[in-house]
Amino acid sequence: MEPLPRLGYGLGLRPVYYEEILSTRPPVDWFEIISENYMIPGGRPLAMLERVRADYPIVMHGVSMSLASTDPLDFDYLAALKALAGRIEPAWVSDHLAWTGVHGINLHDLLPIPYTREALDHVVDRIGRVQDFLGRPLVVENASTYVGFGDSEMEEWEFVTEMATRAGCLLLLDVNNIAVSGFNHGFDAARYIDMIPKERVAQFHLAGHTDNKTHRIDTHDQPVSEEVWTLYGRARRRFGDVSAMIERDDNFPPFDQLLAELQRMRDIDAAMATREPRSAA
Amino acid sequence: MNLKELQSRFQAAILAGDEEDAAVLDLVAAGGEAGRPVKFGVYVAAYRIRLTEYLDEDYPALRALQGDDVFEALVEEYIAANPSRHRNARWYSSGLPEFLQRHEDWRANPRAIDMARFERALTDAFDARDAETLAIEALAEFSPPDWPRLKFAFHPSVELLTVAAGTLETYLALTAEEETGPPPPRQGVERIAVWRDKFDPLYRGLDPDEFLALNEARAGRSFGDICQMVAFQNQNDPAAERIARFLVNWFSEGMVTGVEMART
Repeated sequence: MEPLPRLGYGLGLRPVYYEEILSTRPPVDWFEIISENYMIPGGRPLAMLERVRADYPIVMHGVSMSLASTDPLDFDYLAALKALAGRIEPAWVSDHLAWTGVHGINLHDLLPIPYTREALDHVVDRIGRVQDFLGRPLVVENASTYVGFGDSEMEEWEFVTEMATRAGCLLLLDVNNIAVSGFNHGFDAARYIDMIPKERVAQFHLAGHTDNKTHRIDTHDQPVSEEVWTLYGRARRRFGDVSAMIERDDNFPPFDQLLAELQRMRDIDAAMATREPRSAA
Repeated sequence: MNLKELQSRFQAAILAGDEEDAAVLDLVAAGGEAGRPVKFGVYVAAYRIRLTEYLDEDYPALRALQGDDVFEALVEEYIAANPSRHRNARWYSSGLPEFLQRHEDWRANPRAIDMARFERALTDAFDARDAETLAIEALAEFSPPDWPRLKFAFHPSVELLTVAAGTLETYLALTAEEETGPPPPRQGVERIAVWRDKFDPLYRGLDPDEFLALNEARAGRSFGDICQMVAFQNQNDPAAERIARFLVNWFSEGMVTGVEMART
């Protein structure tokens, strides 16, 4: 499999920042879009995206592929996604290890699955079919989850590892999601990171979450937490210089604050490079 | 339990709004600090919060017109009656005007229904298909004797509405920075064009002649035919001049994307 490009440090492209991005051309290496927000007939979002695309690499990140659903794959959706990819020429296309609904209904959420052999076979088969249809490798993200299932036969990281290996897909490791799910289910987030195969990880996500004391919710409306920064350092040491970005989807701060978080990411990596020079051999 | 059955049960409990659903909680593993109903409740709540946000975003004037409590009750009913069948959340709110039209408590409330229709038209115009618009100079390619045979094509965003009189005035009052409250209801109807010029949805009222002319022009009638129809409605009116003025507006407002000679 061709390795995906190392894009550096990115942010989510959100409408509230269009004007600032286009007028200041900020020092962001790439932008990630929510694919569905641009799977529309026309108008401002698509025009803004094309303008940003002229100056920055773009990655397409979807929320509706419903890879784990037992409904049939939606080829109308996939055709629209493929058409957008043809227009935007993203560095890659990603979605989640999740389902969004069954019986033709969409709950507009990333719903959890039991980590069973049955679910694994099902998801692997669907990722393969999606990759064949899109004509490109898919990058699959670990979702935040709030419940696990008694029927699960393996840990999430075992499921994710076998899924990626068998389906030949890549992984978008969302470090915040590991922290959120780890807290909600009582697993060790650091161990999760240590168990994911190095060669499969193509991208990191970082984001903020809401801490409700007894459980955490993946709200993307807060700065990245200190705990997640620590996990990020661990992930960076393990997976090297894969592309990384910060998601912010609500309670939008001034753009400078996102740039400062991105700078923190760069500083962590620079300090790590100074402390732990990688062997050229 | 197989995956298909698990997903059916999980979804049914979310749709039912039941975070204590025993059939689902029996499937959920213990772990972490929160109890199982609390954790499953995150999904139950998130579903309603998301769909509510989509409706809030698309119908701000309807909310202001009806008041928060009435609007929220309406949204709750809409969500309960309309699980989303769209991959893209963008389309979820589109059915609200028809829902009001069918609803026993709302169908006799044209003011609310037409505000919803107008707000949906604005949303639709925002991301309607793109098309290059023509400047008025495009007409210079045709000699005046050929004008009666001219036909026009319009931007895909153009939509014409006949709504309760006062809808525009009410919308403006309810969405102004300093909200003044809704003006009193009026009798009768008014006609509105909604479209997009560049990136911004636009709208304005139309008098009955311009509404007729624009409607017929969009349906592919020639300039000459439209003049006859308007003249027929207004016996002593120099229709051609008035329609020419309408045309100039349509061009200058970014509605026209094509002009061609009708085949004889």
